[in-house]
Amino acid sequence: MRKLTRPTLLSFATLAIAVLLSVGVGSVAIPPKETLEVLWNTLQGTVPTLDINHTYQIILLTLRLPRTILMIMTGAALAGSGCAYQGLFQNPLADPYLIGAASGAGLGAIISLTLGWPASPFSYLAVPMTAFISALLTVFLVFQLAKVKKTLPVTNLILAGVAVSSFVTALTSFLLINASGELRRAVVWLLGGSTMAGWKPVLGQLPYVLVGLIGLSAYAYKLNVLQFGDEQALQLGINVNRARTRIVVFATLSTAAAVAFTGVIGFVGLIIPHILRRVTGGDMRRLLPFSMIGGAIFLVLADVVARVIVAPQELPVGIITSLCGAPFFLFILRRSKEKDW
Amino acid sequence: MKKFIFLTTISMIISAAFSACTPSAVAVSAEISVVDGFEKQITLDQPAAKIVTLSPPITEMLYAIDAGDQVIARDSFSDYPEAALSLPDIGGGFAEYDLETIISLEPDLVIAGGINTVELVQSLEDLGLTVYYLANPFDLEGTFASIEALGILSGHEDQAKELVDGLRSRVDAVSTILENVEDKPTVYYELDATDVAKPYTPGPNTFYTSLIEIAGGENIGEKLEFEWAQISLEQLLIEDPDLILLGDAMWGVTPESVAERAGWGSLTAVANGIVLPFDDNLIARIGPRQVDGLEALAKIFHPDLFK
Repeated sequence: MRKLTRPTLLSFATLAIAVLLSVGVGSVAIPPKETLEVLWNTLQGTVPTLDINHTYQIILLTLRLPRTILMIMTGAALAGSGCAYQGLFQNPLADPYLIGAASGAGLGAIISLTLGWPASPFSYLAVPMTAFISALLTVFLVFQLAKVKKTLPVTNLILAGVAVSSFVTALTSFLLINASGELRRAVVWLLGGSTMAGWKPVLGQLPYVLVGLIGLSAYAYKLNVLQFGDEQALQLGINVNRARTRIVVFATLSTAAAVAFTGVIGFVGLIIPHILRRVTGGDMRRLLPFSMIGGAIFLVLADVVARVIVAPQELPVGIITSLCGAPFFLFILRRSKEKDW
Repeated sequence: MKKFIFLTTISMIISAAFSACTPSAVAVSAEISVVDGFEKQITLDQPAAKIVTLSPPITEMLYAIDAGDQVIARDSFSDYPEAALSLPDIGGGFAEYDLETIISLEPDLVIAGGINTVELVQSLEDLGLTVYYLANPFDLEGTFASIEALGILSGHEDQAKELVDGLRSRVDAVSTILENVEDKPTVYYELDATDVAKPYTPGPNTFYTSLIEIAGGENIGEKLEFEWAQISLEQLLIEDPDLILLGDAMWGVTPESVAERAGWGSLTAVANGIVLPFDDNLIARIGPRQVDGLEALAKIFHPDLFK
């Protein structure tokens, strides 16, 4: 066991700094003192803070804070699921979208964007709902296709996942080509730039992400054992198919919820676990929680960049994660002393 | 039974929460009460004095009814009239609007347009702002109704009515001249020809089709299936329109570049040199300039009748 006190402290400190940055930075300049005061009062439950500009409080508490929390949850969900999948599939290329969560969610979102629902005050729920349901259905389909009697071979899962994903992506492209009007909105969604203001998306996402990530953490030990191969795992008393099924279910729940409310954000689920494996080693009991924190930090920071880089407009955060993530990842890989990536 | 009790309790809690939020007896009798494009009741104590507009047509219409002074911010694409350019830019376009700045300007009314999403409208309302959603009209009567709605919201009802009356009589004048005209040229209107083998053209139920029709022409895109459709070059050759209007002229497309496209030379309009640049904003932007667009179209289609 490597000592993990320092990395743990360090990662939480970094997360705290990222959160402060994310809450402190925006197109409206709010003095840091007032920002901290409002945050502090909120933590103590004394809202509203009477002596501070009402507009500042709205900006901090209904725009920046919920968005920051949304990014924390999304980052944790994506990196946690990606980490679990890399272990489960024993494939370094695995990411949370490998077996259809993103393509399924994309199809659902585009269907609801192009169908032209009757515009009503409630139709803002249409996109996240359809995206979430369609992601679950797609993964379920992959699952059914991959099953051989009662076993669930990993190779089948990957292949079925890739095939179904391509099919679903093709359907999405077809809908996009035929879409009248709202193309821009659909593209922004697919690039991971769809954020709603306020606490509703946070509350909508919270239960699924929590259940998913706690579930994955509970399976960390079994993920370790599964990497020795099915037979070894069986001998160690693990019900391989059940463990595999549940890991997929938990990862899908959190990924689908993340994608539904923020759009498809790429690269977080792939690189964060790889980078952190260099710090914590391959033990899932440590790698999984660290990946979740790391994903949260990365996405919160990426979102800050997305908000300020072309202000007053905002870039879809998915563009930033790939744009900053890819070179950073390569840099880490080149610097690592291991010859083998 | 348990479930029933549970549900009743929940609904009681929710309704209690809601009634706690709304101030009990509202003493002020709201002066303005309108229904917006989401069928939502909007009430204002007085005409909006600080308006944020989220799309170019709204900005344009507000200025046209002398409400320009009440506009305090605009989206990135609101570039007409020129006076609007000096207002704070609150984003929009390929990404999101800058909600922080909108909030900090403390508008008493935000007006969203057809290009804005329900999510955006919902977000703004959750922030405590009053949002009027102006749904996209599909014909000139719809444009006039939009102008009048903005007149009510901004307290410029009279100017709006006056403007609409003037516009309506100009439209009537065009229709009167064209009353007995049988010969209607067929028109291909180009929106985007990045792919010259199947360029985008407006289809049925668009302003393009209806304005071209009032101006005494016939949009060949009307037969297509979608509102914004790709027409294949083959189809275009079969239809062989009498004239071509380049709505994409502002992106650098010229009659010469059209003539150079492979296969386009055999179109009658290209061979005869009846390929004309057209200011797309005169049709695409809902507002008074659409009547300018209508008159311009009529002049192109029937030069002998309109001097």
